[in-house]
Amino acid sequence: SVYGVLLFLCLLDVYKISGHFGPPGKPKLTSCRSPEKETFTCWWEPGSDGGLPTTYALYYRKENSDAVYECPDYHTAGENSCFFNKNDTSIWVNYNITVVATNALGSNFSDPVDVDVVYIVQPHTPENVTVTVMEDKDGPFLRVSWEPPRKADTRSGWITLIYELRVKLEGEEEWEEHRAGQQKMFNIFSLRSGGMYLVQVRCKPDHGFWSEWSSTTYIKVPDYFPRETSVWILIAVFSAFIFFILTWILNLKSNSVKHCLLPPVPGPKIKGFDKQLLKNGRSEEVFSALVVPGFPPTTSSDCEDLLVEYLEVYTPEEQELILEEGKDLQEGCLKSKGSPSDSDSGRGSCDSHTLLMEKCGEGEGKEEKHQERAQKGKRQQKHQTGWEEGDVSHTREDVLSPDMSEGRVKTWPSVFSPLPQYSSRPLDHQGSLETARQLCLSDSLFPPPSTSSHLSYNAKEGLAASGLQLPGFRSTEYVEVQRVNQEDMVILQPLFSSSCQRDGHLQIGQGEDYSKVKGVDSGNMLLLQREVEVKREEEDGDRYSCDIQDRVTESCYTTSTAASSQVTGKPTSCAGTAMPVQEEMVLAANGYVDAATIRQQEMCQVRVETKTHSNKG
Amino acid sequence: MPENFRSVSAVWVGLVCLLFYSRLVRVGAAPICTNGQAGCHILSLADLFDRVIQHSARMHGISSDLHSEFEQYFFPSKNHIGRVNRICHTSTILTPNGKENAQRLAREELTEVILKLLVAWRDPLWHFQQSIAHHHDFNNFSSNKALEMSDMVHELRKGVEKVAEKMQMLGIISNSVNSLTSPEALIPSDRAEWRLMKDYVLLYCFRRDSNKVQNYLKILKCRIIPQHEC
Repeated sequence: SVYGVLLFLCLLDVYKISGHFGPPGKPKLTSCRSPEKETFTCWWEPGSDGGLPTTYALYYRKENSDAVYECPDYHTAGENSCFFNKNDTSIWVNYNITVVATNALGSNFSDPVDVDVVYIVQPHTPENVTVTVMEDKDGPFLRVSWEPPRKADTRSGWITLIYELRVKLEGEEEWEEHRAGQQKMFNIFSLRSGGMYLVQVRCKPDHGFWSEWSSTTYIKVPDYFPRETSVWILIAVFSAFIFFILTWILNLKSNSVKHCLLPPVPGPKIKGFDKQLLKNGRSEEVFSALVVPGFPPTTSSDCEDLLVEYLEVYTPEEQELILEEGKDLQEGCLKSKGSPSDSDSGRGSCDSHTLLMEKCGEGEGKEEKHQERAQKGKRQQKHQTGWEEGDVSHTREDVLSPDMSEGRVKTWPSVFSPLPQYSSRPLDHQGSLETARQLCLSDSLFPPPSTSSHLSYNAKEGLAASGLQLPGFRSTEYVEVQRVNQEDMVILQPLFSSSCQRDGHLQIGQGEDYSKVKGVDSGNMLLLQREVEVKREEEDGDRYSCDIQDRVTESCYTTSTAASSQVTGKPTSCAGTAMPVQEEMVLAANGYVDAATIRQQEMCQVRVETKTHSNKG
Repeated sequence: MPENFRSVSAVWVGLVCLLFYSRLVRVGAAPICTNGQAGCHILSLADLFDRVIQHSARMHGISSDLHSEFEQYFFPSKNHIGRVNRICHTSTILTPNGKENAQRLAREELTEVILKLLVAWRDPLWHFQQSIAHHHDFNNFSSNKALEMSDMVHELRKGVEKVAEKMQMLGIISNSVNSLTSPEALIPSDRAEWRLMKDYVLLYCFRRDSNKVQNYLKILKCRIIPQHEC
C-alpha cells in the first residue's frame, strides 16, 4: 500500500509537471439582483477549474465594517449563486462582495464588487395579464389589465412600479409600445376588424431595471364595420357629385371660359395673304398672292385709278365739326368703299380718324361747307409751293397738325398705312385769285361730278358760296399751285383730269408742279426730281415758273423756307402726295410720291419742303 | 385698410392677453393654507403628500445625475471607488434599513427621521454648491443642478413640516414632532464632520439619503392614506 501511495504521488507530480492541473482560474461576479428590494441574489462565473475539483465561496463585507461574512445560502438560487434572505439584506448599505475559487492547488479571488440593494432591483413580470374586447360608440377597443408581481410590495409604498405594454397584430414585425405609468389598466383603440392581437406587459421600479416581458396574451377582435370608412365613403360620393356638376357647367360654358382664359390672338389680315399657302411652305406662291394687280400703279395714268391723298387744312373753330363729320364720314366711307380692312387690323399711328376722313358720297353741301370753312378760317398762309399743299403749316397760334387739316383724305383701299396726305390748300390770299379752281377727283372711286364747280379763294372774309357749288363733288381733288404771289402765298388751282369738264377759264398751265421722286437716299430723304416741262412754259404766262427745287426731308413738320413757322401739331400725317399726271403732259414717269411705294415709316416722316425761288412770271 | 388691420390685431392681442391672464390668475389665485384660513384653497393631505413625494423624487433624480457625473470625471476606474472610505455625516441618524424596520417605526418617528435628514443636509449642500460655483472644472449645468438641489432640500423640508402640521391637525400624529425641527438641537456635533467630506463622498451620501427620504415619505403616505395609489 505504501508503494501504491508513492506511485500515486509520483503520478500526481508527473501530472503537475505536465501542466494539466493547476490552481483555479479567477471567478467573476456577473450580477446581483433583487426582485423586491428585500432580498437579493448574486451570480458568478467560474474560471477554469485547473482540472481539479474546485469550490467556490462568496464573502462579503458590509459598509464601514471589517467583519467578513460568508454567503448564507448557496443553493436557493441555483448553481454558482448566493442568495441573501431578508435577515441578511440591508437596504441603503453598501456590500463589498468577493468570490473565491479554491481547489487542491490553490485559490483565486475575484474582483470585489460594491452593491447597494436599492439600485439593483429588477422585479418579476406582471401577473394576471387579461385582455378583453370592449365596445364603444366608435368601435371596439381592447382593455388590458394586469397585476404587479406577487413579491413586490407596492401596497405599503415600499416599491413603486411603472408599467409598459406592447401590442402587435399577428404576423407583424413591429410592436407598438405604450407607457402605462403606475396604472394597472390600459385601453387600445383603432383596431383592425377581425385581427388577432398579441399583448405583453412589463414593469420597472422607479430606480431599477425593467422586468422581463410577460407571456403573450392572444386576443381576437370581432368583425365590425368601421364607422370612419362610412363617413369617408359619404364624403367621397358627395365630392364626386359636386365634381360632376362642375364639369357639366364647365362644359356648357366652355366657350366663355375658353374666351376668358385664352383670349383669341389677333392674326394677320393681309389682303391676299393665305395662311394655308404659307403652311404649305411655298413662299413664291404666298408672295405672289400678295401682289395685287394694279398696284403699285405704274403707267395707267388715269387719275381715277389713283387715290390722291391730300393734307387737310383745318381751322380750330370748325375742328369739332370736322371731327364729327370726319367720324361719320369715316364710317360711311369705309362701308361704301367696302374696305377690306377688318376690325382687328392694326392701324398705324398715323391712322387717325381724320386721316381717314372720307368725303366719298358726300354731298356737295358738305364740300361747300368745307370750302367755306376753309376760307373762313384762313389766315396767313404758309409759304408753300408746288403741290405740296400738304403743308399744313398754319401760322396761327393753335397749330394744326396735318391730319387735322380740313380737306379730304382718301385711303388707299388695300393699304392701311397712314396715307399720304394731300391737302387742298384753299389758301387765303390777298391777291386776287385768278380763277376758281376745281378739284378733280378720282374717277374710279367716285362718281364723276355732274357739274363742275369752282372754288374761288377770296379774301379772308370768305368767299361767297356762289362759287362753291360742287355738285357731285368728288372727295379727292388735286390742287396745283398756280403761282406764288407777292406775299409769299401760294395760289392754288385745282387740277382736273381728262374726264373733268370745266367751263371756262381754267387755263392753267397744267404745270407739272409735282415732284417726281427720284429716290430715297440713305438719310431717309425723299429725293424729288424737278420736272421741267417745256410745255409749261409755252402755255401759260401766268405760270409759275418752275424753278422749284423740292426737297423732301424727314420730318413731320412741314415748313416753308420763307416763313419758317412750324407746325407743331402731331407729326402724323405725311406729306407725300400723289398727283395725277395730265395726259397731255408728257412725263417720263409718274413721279408721284406714292404712299404705297414708300414704307410706312418713312411716310410718316416725310416732309416736303420746297424752296421757292419766286419768280413771278 | 391698414387701420382696420391694426385695430383687429390689437383686439386679438388683447384677447390673448386676457386669456393668459385669466389662466395665470386661476393658477396662482389660491395660496395653500393648511390652517383653514379664509380665502385660500385648502389642499387635502393626499395632495400635500403627492407634492412632497414629487419633490423628493426630483431631488433624488438630480442627486443621481450629479453623482454619476462625478463618477465619470473623477473616478474612471472602479478600483478607486472601492478604496474610498465613505462615511456620511448622517450615519449618526438612525434610519430603518429595511421594509420591516420602516414599518415598525411609528408615524411620528418616521416623520422625525425624514425631517432630521433634511435638516442635516441643508448646510452641506449649500457649501457644496458654493464650492462648485467657484470650481472651474464643472460646467454651468452641474453648478445649476447643485444650486437646485440645495434649494430643493430647503423646500422639501418646509413641505414635510407642513405635512406634519397637517397630520397633527388631523390628529393622525401626536404633537411631539414639532419640538425636533430646530436644526441646532438635532445634530450639533456633525458640523465639523461634514466639512471634511470630499465632494464625491458628499454626493454619494446625499444620493442615498434622498432615496431614503423619498421612500419613507411613500411609506408614510400609504400608511396614512392607503387608498390613494398604493
